[in-house]
Amino acid sequence: MRKATRRTKRFLRRFWRGLREWCGDAAYESYLRSKGGRASSCRALSPAEFYVEQLNRRYSRPNRCC
Amino acid sequence: MKRFFSIVAWVVVAILGASALGAIAVHRGEPLNAIWFVIAALCCYLVAFRLYSAFVAAKVLTLDDTRATPAERHDDGRDFVPTNKWVLFGHHFAAIAGPGPLVGPTLAAQFGYLPGTLWLIAGAALGGCVQDFVILFCSIRRDGKSLGQMAREEVSKRGGFIAQLAVLAIMVILLAVIALVVVNALKSSPWATFTLAMTIPIALLLGMYLRFLRPGRVLEASIMGVGLVVFVVVAGQWVADSPYWSHVFTLSGLALTAAIIIYGFSASALPVWLLLAPRDYLSAFIKAGAVFSLAAGILLVRPQVLMPPLTRFVDGTGPVFAGKIFPFCFITIACGAVSGFHSLISSGTTPKMILRESHARLIGYGAMLLESFVGVMAMVAACAMTPGIYFAINSPPSIVGATADAGAATISSWGYPLQAQTMTNLAHAVGEITLWNRAGGAPSLAVGMAQIFSNTIGGPRLLSIWYHFAIMFEALFILTVLDAGTRVGRFMVQELGGRIWAPFGRRGWMPGILLSSAVIVAMWGYFLYQGVIDPLGGINSLWPLFGIGNQLLAAVALVVATTILLKMGRLRWIWVTLVPMAWLVIVTMTASYQKIFDPNPRIGFLAGANALVAQIAAGSVPAAKLAETRRLIFNQRLDAAVTAIFASMVLVLVVEAIVQWYSILIRRRESVLHESPYIATRWAKDFSGAGHDVVVGDAIGDD
Repeated sequence: MRKATRRTKRFLRRFWRGLREWCGDAAYESYLRSKGGRASSCRALSPAEFYVEQLNRRYSRPNRCC
Repeated sequence: MKRFFSIVAWVVVAILGASALGAIAVHRGEPLNAIWFVIAALCCYLVAFRLYSAFVAAKVLTLDDTRATPAERHDDGRDFVPTNKWVLFGHHFAAIAGPGPLVGPTLAAQFGYLPGTLWLIAGAALGGCVQDFVILFCSIRRDGKSLGQMAREEVSKRGGFIAQLAVLAIMVILLAVIALVVVNALKSSPWATFTLAMTIPIALLLGMYLRFLRPGRVLEASIMGVGLVVFVVVAGQWVADSPYWSHVFTLSGLALTAAIIIYGFSASALPVWLLLAPRDYLSAFIKAGAVFSLAAGILLVRPQVLMPPLTRFVDGTGPVFAGKIFPFCFITIACGAVSGFHSLISSGTTPKMILRESHARLIGYGAMLLESFVGVMAMVAACAMTPGIYFAINSPPSIVGATADAGAATISSWGYPLQAQTMTNLAHAVGEITLWNRAGGAPSLAVGMAQIFSNTIGGPRLLSIWYHFAIMFEALFILTVLDAGTRVGRFMVQELGGRIWAPFGRRGWMPGILLSSAVIVAMWGYFLYQGVIDPLGGINSLWPLFGIGNQLLAAVALVVATTILLKMGRLRWIWVTLVPMAWLVIVTMTASYQKIFDPNPRIGFLAGANALVAQIAAGSVPAAKLAETRRLIFNQRLDAAVTAIFASMVLVLVVEAIVQWYSILIRRRESVLHESPYIATRWAKDFSGAGHDVVVGDAIGDD
């Protein structure tokens, strides 16, 4: 029983994390963790700056299909 | 022993799939249960994924997991983001799944359920999935380069330019035709128009929330947005019941055309965070929910498929669109089986986020299989309604007659019995004024979906809510493609214009933004206007044009893929991309030729123009209609020219590629492959990409 609960919890945690990554909720966290975000030479963007910059980049190339 | 059971299991899956396909193919007489379609599709997909994609991965592409992908080498947290394969699968699927696999199969159902279903399954497994997979692989090996860049480097400079131009041209036609689908879905429907109009203020609200209140909190904003959208779907009923508001939201085709053009311009010129992005978030959630609900609904309801396997319209006289089963069934299905547009996604965002080369198999090949399954479900939803109703909804008045009685008599004379009262009752049940002549595929698909959903939850009482939910879902994500496509088209126009006058190419220069937005909107807006005033309903001319363009882009992608395989020394396996490429070239060239030169005015654009010229010469066109007829003549000739340009561009690219293949094969030219150099991965094999807050080189699992 305890094993099943642990597995369910683990599955839900993974699902939640996957959902946040899929919809872009976790994009800023990914950015902070990335090599580019950690680079000491340039200032890390704020959440609002990162959000706008990310959208401008994403919607400047084909990202939705027919 | 384990291997033995695995072989037995796969043999069982293969036999089950073959039996289900056999049942679909040879069954005649009594209606067939939709569950056979689901079994046939799923088993074929499983076998194709397990065997064919594994073969392509191992023998043709020789995927190498020891090689660092662009996501690892350039990890910047922006474009290059190492991503878990299932998350990336979701991303990729959300990007490739558009209205095409829903609308195309619905329109192709006029030939009966058999040809469309077989092509959806076979075309995807052997063509569409291979294209997506191979292009994704090629882009991964080239630091995530786009299709145009790869065409320039691997085929020729002219090839790259042609690919870029083809993308812009096809995008214009795509945006026009999907906008036409929305116009036909919303025409004279106050409920649907109100619901869709309300998604704009909802998106603006979410845009403000995500920009200023909680930057980047997409999940919570989307949940609020979806709640509001569901509310406005229900509230639409009150609007439809109110005489005043119903009048306000009852719009003609031309009024809707103007509204959509203004919307497209605004979405392109306004900051992306304000309207475009929040609408995209809403659309992604609703799309995922609707597609999975449709699958679940079909499994639960198991509806009978009432459409015959083959209709009398395989001879090319169909009322929905004219043209014989070959090549028009393949052109019409388009995205559900093979989509050239996918190669833009496979060489765009996805290759920059993939963690390992082996993931390309699931993401490239697997996501396209899922898209094909969406197409099969749309086919089931369209074929589960009475054929008479299907033809009544999808046929223009110039074919079936302007009145309900005339329409019912015409459709009954084709062998599909229909009473005028049946259509009146159905329109009343779904909360519409009329369902006659609602060409475009969206209303008939919405009726099919609503019948399946209402049989699952709510019964006939909720039919109207489900119908408008389905219309809202289709229109919402069509508009998402429209606004995102307009914006990308704007950048392409700016890039091309920037070569002539440099300031025009600057992305932040406001006059440039406004002018380029106006240019791209005028381009697709004209084709939309043309479709709306077309007496044959517009779909008859624009959907085949879109299908030809899309399949030609797929041929371009497969030309690039074949060239790369040849340069990689995979001559033995070249048929993997060469055969689908040859098939697409044959299909699209035949369709292009017929759309230009066929003597039937409903098929051939030039014959259509000549017939109208003859009518004017004979004096059978009233003076009041003279200007409109001249415009129709111009439109038919324009469509012929556009088709000829599409075909010529691809022929030039194919000839260039064949010359290059010949040179490589006789060793006259050195085969230069423009792959990025090999760099060994520093990530351990079990690295999953999720939450990688580690120093590169550490080995971590999922948790």
